[in-house]
Amino acid sequence: MIPYIRAREIGLTFRPKNREPVRAIKGLDVEVGRGEFVTLVGPSGCGKSTFLNIVLGLLRPDTGEVQIDGRRITGPGPERAMVFQEFGLLPWRTVLANVELGLELRAVPAAERHRRSLELIQMVGLTGFERHYPHELSGGMKQRVGLARALATDPEVLLMDEPFAALDAQTRDLMQTELLQIWEKSKKTVLFVTHSIEEAAYLSDRVVIISARPGRTKEIIKIDLPRPRDYEMRLTPQFNDLKLRIWETIKEELLVRAG
Amino acid sequence: MRGYREREPFILGAAVIVLLIALWEAVPSLVTLSRGMALFFTTPSKVAATFWRMLVNGELNRHLYVSGLEFVVGLGLAILVGLPLGLLMGRSKTLDALLDPYVNALNATPRLVFLPLLILWFGLGIWSKIMIVFAGAVFPLLINTYVGVRNVNRVLIDVVRSFCASERQIMRIVVVPNSVPYIVAGLRLAIGRAMLGVVVGEFFGAPEGLGHVIAEAASNYVVDKVFVGVLIFMGMSLVLTMSVKKIESNLTRWRPEETKTF
Amino acid sequence: MGLGAFYDQHPRLILGVASIAVLEGAWELLLTYVVAYNPFFLTKPSLIAAAFNQQIIQGKLWKDIAISSRAFALGLALAILVGIPIGAVMGWRRRVEYALDPLLTALYASPLVALAPVLIIAFGVGLTAKAALVFLLSVFPFVFNTFAGVRATDRVLINVVTSFGGKERDLYLKVILPSTLPYIVAGARLAIGRALVGILVGEFYAASEGIGFAISQFGDTYRLAEMFSGILVLCIAAVALTEALRKLERVVAPWSAEQTSR
Ligand SMILES: Nc1ncnc2c1ncn2[C@@H]1O[C@H](COP(=O)(O)OP(=O)(O)OP(=O)(O)O)[C@@H](O)[C@H]1O
Ligand SMILES: [Mg+2]
Repeated sequence: MIPYIRAREIGLTFRPKNREPVRAIKGLDVEVGRGEFVTLVGPSGCGKSTFLNIVLGLLRPDTGEVQIDGRRITGPGPERAMVFQEFGLLPWRTVLANVELGLELRAVPAAERHRRSLELIQMVGLTGFERHYPHELSGGMKQRVGLARALATDPEVLLMDEPFAALDAQTRDLMQTELLQIWEKSKKTVLFVTHSIEEAAYLSDRVVIISARPGRTKEIIKIDLPRPRDYEMRLTPQFNDLKLRIWETIKEELLVRAG
Repeated sequence: MRGYREREPFILGAAVIVLLIALWEAVPSLVTLSRGMALFFTTPSKVAATFWRMLVNGELNRHLYVSGLEFVVGLGLAILVGLPLGLLMGRSKTLDALLDPYVNALNATPRLVFLPLLILWFGLGIWSKIMIVFAGAVFPLLINTYVGVRNVNRVLIDVVRSFCASERQIMRIVVVPNSVPYIVAGLRLAIGRAMLGVVVGEFFGAPEGLGHVIAEAASNYVVDKVFVGVLIFMGMSLVLTMSVKKIESNLTRWRPEETKTF
Repeated sequence: MGLGAFYDQHPRLILGVASIAVLEGAWELLLTYVVAYNPFFLTKPSLIAAAFNQQIIQGKLWKDIAISSRAFALGLALAILVGIPIGAVMGWRRRVEYALDPLLTALYASPLVALAPVLIIAFGVGLTAKAALVFLLSVFPFVFNTFAGVRATDRVLINVVTSFGGKERDLYLKVILPSTLPYIVAGARLAIGRALVGILVGEFYAASEGIGFAISQFGDTYRLAEMFSGILVLCIAAVALTEALRKLERVVAPWSAEQTSR
């Protein structure tokens, strides 16, 4: 089977002015099947965000290439959308106008844009807040807007960079479950980044563990848990075994860095 | 009826202003001014009377028109030049580096120093005033636009780029809206500078305009006429500044925190 | 280190210097070889340099600079002595704020420079009138920035110091002063610009000496190179003072990132 997203031998070095170059990633291999949910975990600074930005098409790798459906990507494209960690909402636009952003840039007619955005606002449970500005929303609500905005353009691939990191623990649990429901309905391909081992094990089909900087693929762990998953599943021994396996692999990397 | 507590700020503020005016009015009856002082001393009631007379006999019309014209054209030119240049400097590192020495030096220097030069180049008519108004007003606009562009959150640009936006769309959707509050704050500063340009520009050998009225009245020691001119300038500045402040508070509706510029 | 590597490390510096050099060079060459210019109307860098040498290096202008500096320093000192206490009391006592804020805000927004003729009638031509004008223009930034600084003092810090048994004196010295000082220095930067305006207007309008007088005199007598050298002196002084205060801002408030306003 040819994977839907295929990243081979990706390497990228940042060359900031007046400072030493930073080799962010080196030899990163990731493959994601169509409709699969894959999560990247790894120590802070190992290049996860850098990698997502490469897949999104905002950064160009020095070595290797990313293919989607067999075609090499050279820039942003309509089949991909990102949910950003810090939400990235335009503060001067209402919720509705923020969700419409991608459709607007795709020159979708206003009426169609409206209809589709309202649909997604309802799906993420924000009906009634269409005319609110981002600063009037809670963190969880802002992230729902970010999710709705990414889904509005109906991308094949959803990239998510620590989307729930800024949320409190309960909101986070809630959002995870909702994300799973949305994903199971829409069958999108998801590439997810998190620092939470629990989150990775709960959401993913496979977890890719990345080494300390310069990041490369260290291990891939398959999460063989039945779907649909729910909160109770997190209390099972299998789930805890998987968490432990992920943790032990990451711990080696954290020690490499500390040592 | 609301209590005193709630209205205390207004009552105290108004009381001080009324008291000062009353005190000024009362000076001649409280102290005997020396002969020389008495000649030049004026009171609010005399100033008001003179203002009324000048308004009714149409003496002010022409001067108001000329000063207004200089202000509007000079400020308009400053906007036409300052905003695009600020946007470009904010987006292009090279242009920024090339122009920064001039912008920095000219912004630190009071542009009034160029008044004699501008009078030499553009004569005593309205164009030398328009140019000094322009020179004063263009920098706050340019610099505030620049700061607004530079302060745009990188993530927002990434978001828009990720939806395949062109550089022009990035400008329209992120950069320009982000700069609007800064530009309006710059406009508030620019209005003050422009007014200064009109006043001082017209002091020197201008044939007409409110500044000319002040200067001429002063050289003839007609002090109440001087104050009429001063008060018109103050009134106009206040009205304009307040209107821009109003716009600012409307604009910042989407902002959690007030932008405060001193 | 090669030139290329040097450029990579200091692109802004190199581009800035290059941009000045190219502009001066083009100006000089254009007027020397291409355009036949009227010397009563235009001048070129080499002539300005010669005039600068004669006026500054050989000291013809120093007397004027000294005279202007006295009025500048006197007015500014007075503005500090009056402005900071008023601002502090306004920040500390609500009632005083209510009473003074409308009046002072209105005056701050007005082109008070229009009062220059009145001051000259009242004080006569010379040091007093100029210093009074400088004071009038530069006192408000001190008032409002001190006010803002005192207001912005963190209540929690005050509680912390009191809870450790700090006395009123400790409050002033350890909390209020350090947190207000950066605001005052930022205010001083604004005040300097306005003070220079005061000097220039005072000396353009009625004076027989001083740097402003010299510049306008050179203009009246069509000595362009000399006029430009006078402008250059003022520009250098303004930039030096502004940069010094910006340094000072970093010294008194190393914890706060550099202010974005210029
Ligand atoms: N624009 C940049 N210029 C220079 N260095 C950068 C840049 N962006 C990232 N880096 C460096 O590259 C490395 C990888 O960064 P990246 O943000 O991809 O890490 P990450 O895995 O997402 O970390 P975290 O988990 O903390 O978000 C880091 O060391 C970072 O300092
Ligand atoms: Mg990251």
